[in-house]
Amino acid sequence: MSAAHIKAVPAIGSPLALTRLLQLASPMLPVGAYSYSQGLEWAIECGDVHDLASAQTWIGDVLHIYQGGFELPVLQRLYQAWQADDMRALQHWDAYFQAGRDTAEAHAETRQMGYSLVRLLQGLQTLPEPVLARFEQLAEPAFPTIYAGVAYHWHIPLAQAMQAYAWSWVENQVSAAMKTVPLGQVAGQKMLFALGAELPALVATAMQRDDDGISNFCPALSIAGCRHETQYTRLFRS
Amino acid sequence: MTSAQATTPGGWQAELKLQFEQRMGRSLLARRAHRGPLVVQKPLYPEGDAVCHAIIVHPPGGVVGGDQLSLQVQLASSAHALLTTPGAGKWYKSGGRLASQSLQFEVADGAVLEWLPQENILFDGAEVAWSSRIQLSTTAVYAGWDILCFGRQASGEHWQRGVLGQRLTLQREDRLLWQERSQLQPDSLCMQSVAGLRGCPVVGNFVVAAGAVPAALIDTCREIVPDAGAWHGISVVQNVLAVRYLGHSASEARRYFEALRQVLRPWYAARAALAPRVWNT
Repeated sequence: MSAAHIKAVPAIGSPLALTRLLQLASPMLPVGAYSYSQGLEWAIECGDVHDLASAQTWIGDVLHIYQGGFELPVLQRLYQAWQADDMRALQHWDAYFQAGRDTAEAHAETRQMGYSLVRLLQGLQTLPEPVLARFEQLAEPAFPTIYAGVAYHWHIPLAQAMQAYAWSWVENQVSAAMKTVPLGQVAGQKMLFALGAELPALVATAMQRDDDGISNFCPALSIAGCRHETQYTRLFRS
Repeated sequence: MTSAQATTPGGWQAELKLQFEQRMGRSLLARRAHRGPLVVQKPLYPEGDAVCHAIIVHPPGGVVGGDQLSLQVQLASSAHALLTTPGAGKWYKSGGRLASQSLQFEVADGAVLEWLPQENILFDGAEVAWSSRIQLSTTAVYAGWDILCFGRQASGEHWQRGVLGQRLTLQREDRLLWQERSQLQPDSLCMQSVAGLRGCPVVGNFVVAAGAVPAALIDTCREIVPDAGAWHGISVVQNVLAVRYLGHSASEARRYFEALRQVLRPWYAARAALAPRVWNT
């Protein structure tokens, strides 16, 4: 890393890091998140989700059970692995995450988004060469593996990165519900406002989980993911 | 119940180690060692020499707080073993002491391990930790299911107090392929959530790892469905076929998995599915 480069990077949590966080969390980030519903489309098809209240229940429950119980604690460990520049830990938690994505579409989704994020970062050329080299060494990485690396190297604090990750997930789910249920703009904003309020506590709880407390068990969500594979009409890839 | 040193103030420590080998076309139970109340019955060969059927018995008939069960099974190359249990696993009220079960399976190249136990029942107040570690060599085959009942349904009992920690990991060589982890209490959001267990008392999974799954076989599996009122789904990820059942009946979950095994076994073990006789008694 050159001295000039070090000079250009913001301090952790600086105002510049905030704009980096907004860029990473933006739906404009070209990783294709909008094309996935993560089982929500099947939950709508089978009638579980049919209005604002049922959409908010489904999304909120998955947020707490699966995002809070699995994705966020793993994201945290991936961030710490980037922080320590520990390649073995990165590979371990990447494989751990992928093995916990228990349907074909959920697994393909995280790999596609991980791939797209790597391609973007190669195009941006804003990260130091050794970091880009790490991305290359990870064979078919999961999305949070790369996300954690970008967050760390863009000097975004861990808790903020986790909250942004969860926020983007909620936003994407709400957007999928609006298109498919369908629901209006105000309904969508109501859900974002309500679920957004739960994020700080969700992140704080996730950060306190020890390894034994990590759980990806959410059976009806897994079944929704399975059934989506053969759903007759569908807008989404998961 | 056997030797005195197997018991501790906290409960039984039971350990069973089994090693299967294939010699001249016959799958043998080559070594067995046990400590405490966990034993294997005399191996059976209802479908000829190639497949050794073994019934794992826990003589106390139920597990209480402080009990620690450990089952370690190794299959040498080309051996084929089918393991099952003679009845439902009963996990009693624990009284504040964790009851645990640890399964460790190691399957070598060309070997086939089938783990087809009857259901586990969590009695009200049960506090349990289950872990299953399946380690496969490159061409090893594993087919296993787990069926779990929350509360004794026959007596209308619910699981109202207790803890359940579950961990299933399936690894081929150095690569973790599939895992499921849970950490539940009766008031966990997951128990009643529409995205979780939906208040269902029975949940099961059937996992098969035998290399690439032919697309036509997945279609055939999808034509098999449990009774109305149960949720189910099938997916293949990283060459692991995973089937889920979520519903109200352990016997129905078993029937569903058995029906799937009928179409899957000719693929993963190149032989027709034969139900162990102990299931019918």
